[in-house]
Amino acid sequence: MKSLLAPGHRGCAGCCDAMAAKFTLMGAGEDCIVVNPTGCLEVMTTPFPETSWEVPWVHSLFENAAAVGSGVEAALKALGKKGNTKIVVMGGDGASLDIGMRSISGAFERGHDLTYVCIDNEAYMNTGVQRSGATPFDASTTTSPAGKVSFGNPRPKKNMPAIIAAHGSPYVATTSIGYPKDMINKVKKATEIEGPTYIHAHAPCTTGWGFDTSKTVEVAKMAVNTGLWPLYEMEDGEVTKVRKLGKNIKPVEDYLKMQRRFRHLFSMEGGEEEIAKIQAIADKNIEVYGL
Amino acid sequence: MATQLVKGNTAAVIGALYAGCDCYFGYPITPASEILQEASKYFPKLGRKFVQAESEEAAINMVYGAASTGHRVMTASSGPGISLKQEGVSYMAGAELPCVIVDIMRAGPGLGNIGPEQGDYNQVVKGGGHGNYKNIVLAPNSVQEMCDFVIKGFELAFKYRNPVVVLADGVLGQMVESLQFPEVSEKPEIDTEWAVSGTAETRENLITSIFLDFNQLEEFNYKIQEKYDLIEEQEVDCDEYMTEDANIILVSYGISSRICKSAVDQARKEGIKVGLFRPKTLFPFPKEELKTIADSKECTFVSVEMSNGQMLEDIKLAIECSRPTELVYRMGGNLITMDQVLDSIRKIAGEE
Repeated sequence: MKSLLAPGHRGCAGCCDAMAAKFTLMGAGEDCIVVNPTGCLEVMTTPFPETSWEVPWVHSLFENAAAVGSGVEAALKALGKKGNTKIVVMGGDGASLDIGMRSISGAFERGHDLTYVCIDNEAYMNTGVQRSGATPFDASTTTSPAGKVSFGNPRPKKNMPAIIAAHGSPYVATTSIGYPKDMINKVKKATEIEGPTYIHAHAPCTTGWGFDTSKTVEVAKMAVNTGLWPLYEMEDGEVTKVRKLGKNIKPVEDYLKMQRRFRHLFSMEGGEEEIAKIQAIADKNIEVYGL
Repeated sequence: MATQLVKGNTAAVIGALYAGCDCYFGYPITPASEILQEASKYFPKLGRKFVQAESEEAAINMVYGAASTGHRVMTASSGPGISLKQEGVSYMAGAELPCVIVDIMRAGPGLGNIGPEQGDYNQVVKGGGHGNYKNIVLAPNSVQEMCDFVIKGFELAFKYRNPVVVLADGVLGQMVESLQFPEVSEKPEIDTEWAVSGTAETRENLITSIFLDFNQLEEFNYKIQEKYDLIEEQEVDCDEYMTEDANIILVSYGISSRICKSAVDQARKEGIKVGLFRPKTLFPFPKEELKTIADSKECTFVSVEMSNGQMLEDIKLAIECSRPTELVYRMGGNLITMDQVLDSIRKIAGEE
């Protein structure tokens, strides 16, 4: 399968965004227009006048990628040129779950024919690892630092796929860059379905999470195998397919100890109780999705 | 008092803490993010509130809400983020609410880049949002002033019940210099005259900017214009360096003024009579002071700025175009060099 994201970009070694973009393009194919708001992906792939994108690409500001995507789709339709061209919007978790939430909601409610791919590395990495609505419970970031008065981010991740499903989207799926085939197939399916479809890709960031650059895929797989990041598909609001873990379920501790952002849980007093709370989040997922 | 080497962005947070600011609301953006990060580190430790908003717009409206309760509140951002906040700033000016906003300017327009620029001058000094309002705008040029001007900003914000912007650039935010810590840590009280703080005595207070009656709104507009007139009378602040005998007057603020000072020293060694006029307040702009210089002698004014002549317009207005003006500028994230300023000085001196 041809990669439509040219090498030589400025991503870190082991960069999750590069993998996510590559897999997305493999799924969407050549006939697509990408809309990409500000973030690491945009900065590292398009230092003017260079670009890694071998498909048409539009930059938008942080909060309005889905609106720009809506505009591209509406204009193509108005010109009678939509044809089979896919509109793919690719934003990070800050751009999607926080500042861009409103424009995503608008695009999905209006029913534009586009696919939104959220590349979720669980914090604002481009500006220096500040927490976002996708930052998991107890992760230490530069704006939710663990210390005397805090174990880190005090709230669990926002359940974005559920919010999008509630808009009546025909297809919502979670995926992970640790499972390329899964991601490519889900993006392909999403872009082939008419209407606004959504892919939420879990993407471990070597720099922001604090793990060796060779471990990106390993960490991604561990998130799935602990039940902290369940892989499933929803069609018209119903869960229709789940990646089962069976006997392979790992304790969350195995996932947490791989990362610097959770290191304090293993050294601070009361850390064990906190890890138990995170285990409870995984257990709930295992129960709800029948992992 | 303690002296420490700190970043300009950190100094702004230190200033806020000493000024009695007890709520910080913000959103990440380079090159202002350290203000957010340092606030997240220190505000909770001191029992004060830190909230990271989901957007710039949410952050400024949290500031609006918290300011309504009479507390000292702050936010910070940079170019694109300040643009997003403008609606909220207009509402604060309209509801006459005090707050301090720190703008660590980066290069634009659009996404631009994260290098330093002074291209937010127009959107901050000229209002930026809708309506007939003005921000009080302070322009630091050192890490020390990043701290001191935030403190002064709170004083002015509450004195006039008006948003104050500390307008700095990417260099000032990121550079490290020694900071002498403030001597006094303020513990301000809530002004029950106007605040809405959930107490019996503030129950009848109202925070709003809606006046459906045209005449009432016009009356309110006249009232705030009087406030701006008073600010122009009372709060102008500027520095003059070797301007007394100078016939070339560099006008510059922020980091550019530091470069200009070096250029003045160098040109003086070459026997050129040049001086530096540095506005420390951009609104109120030191109009009278510039006019006095223009009226007193033949001289050329040179606006040295990291923007496309945005301040030059105010200089021309201040001196009523009575003397020649020149513009020395860079954009796109580039700093002005001393040589660039010197070239202009020598050229003007040569023509005289």
